[in-house]
Amino acid sequence: MTDPLAGTSADSDALRSIGHALAIWSVESRLVSCNPAYAALFELGPDLRQIGFENSAFFEDAKERGVLIGFSQSSDDICAPCPPNGPCTRLLFSDGTVCLLEQWPLPQAGVVTMLRDVTNAERTQKALAKARDAAAEADQSKSRFLRAANHDLRQPLAALKILIYSCYDAEDAREREEALHAMDVSVSIMEDLLGALLNIGQLDAGKIRPNVQTFQISTVLERLRVQFAHQAHEAGLDLHILPSNVAVISDRVLLERIVSNFVSNALRYTPKGRVVVGCKRYGSRLRVMVIDTGVGIEEEYQEAIFQEFFRIDDSQISSRHSLGLGLNISRRLAQILNHPIHVTSTLGKGTNFSIDLPIGNVLHSSIGEPEINESIGGQFAGLICLLLEDDANLREALTTLLVRWGIVVMQMDVFDDVASSVAALEHAPDIILTDYRLQGKIQGTDVTRDINALLHTSCPTIVMTADTSPELIQSIRDQGFPVMIKPISPPGLRVLMHNLLFEN
Amino acid sequence: MVPLTGTSAEDGHEFRNGLIMAIDEVNARGGVNGRRLAPIFVDTGDQSAEKVVRAARILIAEHGVHAIINGYNIGSQNSEYEVIADAGIIYIHHNTLLQHHDTVASDPQRYFGCFMGDPAEYWYGQGFIKFLSCLRDTKQWKPRNRRIAILSGPKPYSIVIANAMASVSAQFGWEAAPPRVSRSIVGNWRAILDDIRKEDPAVLAFTHFHATDIAKFHLQFMENPLPALLYLQYGALHRKFSEIVGEKGRGAIVGTVIGLPRDELGCRFAEKYIERFGPLSTPEVGCQPYTSLHHYAIAAAIAGGTGGPGQDTQNRRIASALLNLPYRSVAGMIRYHHKWQAAVPYPNATNDPSLGLPHLFYQLRTPGERANLVAPEPFSDSAFELPPWL
Repeated sequence: MTDPLAGTSADSDALRSIGHALAIWSVESRLVSCNPAYAALFELGPDLRQIGFENSAFFEDAKERGVLIGFSQSSDDICAPCPPNGPCTRLLFSDGTVCLLEQWPLPQAGVVTMLRDVTNAERTQKALAKARDAAAEADQSKSRFLRAANHDLRQPLAALKILIYSCYDAEDAREREEALHAMDVSVSIMEDLLGALLNIGQLDAGKIRPNVQTFQISTVLERLRVQFAHQAHEAGLDLHILPSNVAVISDRVLLERIVSNFVSNALRYTPKGRVVVGCKRYGSRLRVMVIDTGVGIEEEYQEAIFQEFFRIDDSQISSRHSLGLGLNISRRLAQILNHPIHVTSTLGKGTNFSIDLPIGNVLHSSIGEPEINESIGGQFAGLICLLLEDDANLREALTTLLVRWGIVVMQMDVFDDVASSVAALEHAPDIILTDYRLQGKIQGTDVTRDINALLHTSCPTIVMTADTSPELIQSIRDQGFPVMIKPISPPGLRVLMHNLLFEN
Repeated sequence: MVPLTGTSAEDGHEFRNGLIMAIDEVNARGGVNGRRLAPIFVDTGDQSAEKVVRAARILIAEHGVHAIINGYNIGSQNSEYEVIADAGIIYIHHNTLLQHHDTVASDPQRYFGCFMGDPAEYWYGQGFIKFLSCLRDTKQWKPRNRRIAILSGPKPYSIVIANAMASVSAQFGWEAAPPRVSRSIVGNWRAILDDIRKEDPAVLAFTHFHATDIAKFHLQFMENPLPALLYLQYGALHRKFSEIVGEKGRGAIVGTVIGLPRDELGCRFAEKYIERFGPLSTPEVGCQPYTSLHHYAIAAAIAGGTGGPGQDTQNRRIASALLNLPYRSVAGMIRYHHKWQAAVPYPNATNDPSLGLPHLFYQLRTPGERANLVAPEPFSDSAFELPPWL
């Protein structure tokens, strides 16, 4: 046979210098010759000892030397034609190179084969496919997120709506205060839900990381009570949440979402009767149960109800405002937390949903405060200070300091009508901090006396002044007021406030 | 800066002993990078802001000290921090005050050298409620009801503990009325106890800390005991307390956020301490500056030596070493929280007993007997017993 790679013709030179790996095989399938690119790809030595190897022996030799990993059939179109008789053969090399094998018969006998490097083309194609899948998944996640948000936010929103009306109708301050407290809790539940729903998006992407801590189950039960008490009352249902003092190990927010979905479902599918939330110890685990006297679930559906968007019949959509997401979310979250969920139900009699949690050591309980500082637990936390200061900068600086100590600060900066200013105060102060010289010639000591007279009290007061005249300071002290010289020293202010408020 | 006179003089002398013992040990091993340490003491008397600030000024201006390490000075409300921050030296105290967190957090660059070698008093309150809940949940004690009465002394320390107890009670299934704050320490507690009796609490917690005052309170409580568990602050661990109350102390619960665990290190230290300072000395108190001095010496050695007033750069290196080098002291693990610059408590702020200073709960026995260490695990050595009046 004629070897097109041999000789010194211009054609032969061109074939030898071509970038693609070329080889000539005899009619007996033995290697006749190859160009330098082919030799380099298969790491053939300078002696080209493989010349004359039969086709299968040649590739086996390449495998044994660790150059070639193997073959596979190409399932994708790598942008180029393959031989007409079947799919392309892909060769995988140990350095990561991927080549497509193409071959043509030579005019006189034998074949010429060419290996086309498609490594980059394949990588690009895979990257594109991955990006396409990710985009599709993100689209699905977004849709799921929006549906879940719609579903879960309805519960506290419904409670909030009822509470707002309760607030309008409240006849006394205590009733209004209770409604406002419950509204505050509902809003915080919505905040938590939004946070958790954002996590659901991450859950879809496999990125959710539960914050597992030891905490009192009572904190979750109390929030459930606040969240659902009004809703149950409106529906004419008896909601019993039995107290429990057990410490559990879980993610407080995710667990609350799981159990609140159980309670929400129970209220939705219980036309009359009651819903009971209670806990029972089983060895080292605590079972939190939500038991209702509702319509029940047929046995054949007791697994299917955990599927996304599952509804037993379409009437549920309009009559129960259910999109069939709650239980699916609960199961997915429970799987992440490794908490088994159980359901038992009797049609027409009711259902019991439950979740098992590990019991923790109460001494390891987290109280849910991310930071321990004076605003949470300091000696002044919760006290009310009335600040009389006409210099806006100083007023703000002092307010910042006092708030950091946990003090509720009320400011007064208009002193020509003290009666109106006092009437506008939300609370009676526990202590007054006043500048000595307020606007014009108004003195803080006089304003303080007016405030005390209006409030019928004798509020502990500290007078602040930048005037260091001994006569002035003595005259203020003679009036019974302790004095602090500006600039105010925080430790000094702390000592003085403590002595006035807590020590004789 | 130690209270060698006044109501805390006994503790002050133990602080002095602990510091001397640690310095002698460091010097016996060659000092800090070859330089010997020398202690200087200034009496802080009643621990008022004026006295403590004056003591800090004397130590810095007259003696040029490289560090101030002491027990507690409750009453200065962190006033001394300004003098120390101006000098740029290291200050390790055991004031057990939440104020420390806020002062450091308000300007970490300025207060880089201020460390609290024990956890804030806040943890006493939270930890006690958890301890009570543990007794209840593990059926070691069955409370008659859920009510807790809290009585505080006039100092910020007592008020913070009382507030912390009240604030977390509901989370653990308890009902705590707002704490009663006594504006002064009265000798007669009977009227207050009668007032509390009307509430019929299952638990009474008294958060004042002076041993003598607590002893008087306890004797009056025992005249007609309430059917309640009684908690006393750490002063009740003092010898002075047991001398005054005698047999009547048995059964009271006492907590401390820094004490001596009864492990090999703690016991060995206690033996050495008593051998040196006598059978009436209190290693549980002396251990505080003892541990902090050792921690400081290691940190200074790593940083390349101690730094005097004005040597900010060197002292910042030492502060960094203190923050980044947890130290297993005789009192347990001293691991400084990077933001608070205070020791992290176990189990209140970490669930790992090897990573926090144990908050220990004792139950008192008779004066001749060592108090039972009843919590937390793995430090406890005894089980809780129902007090004799219940």
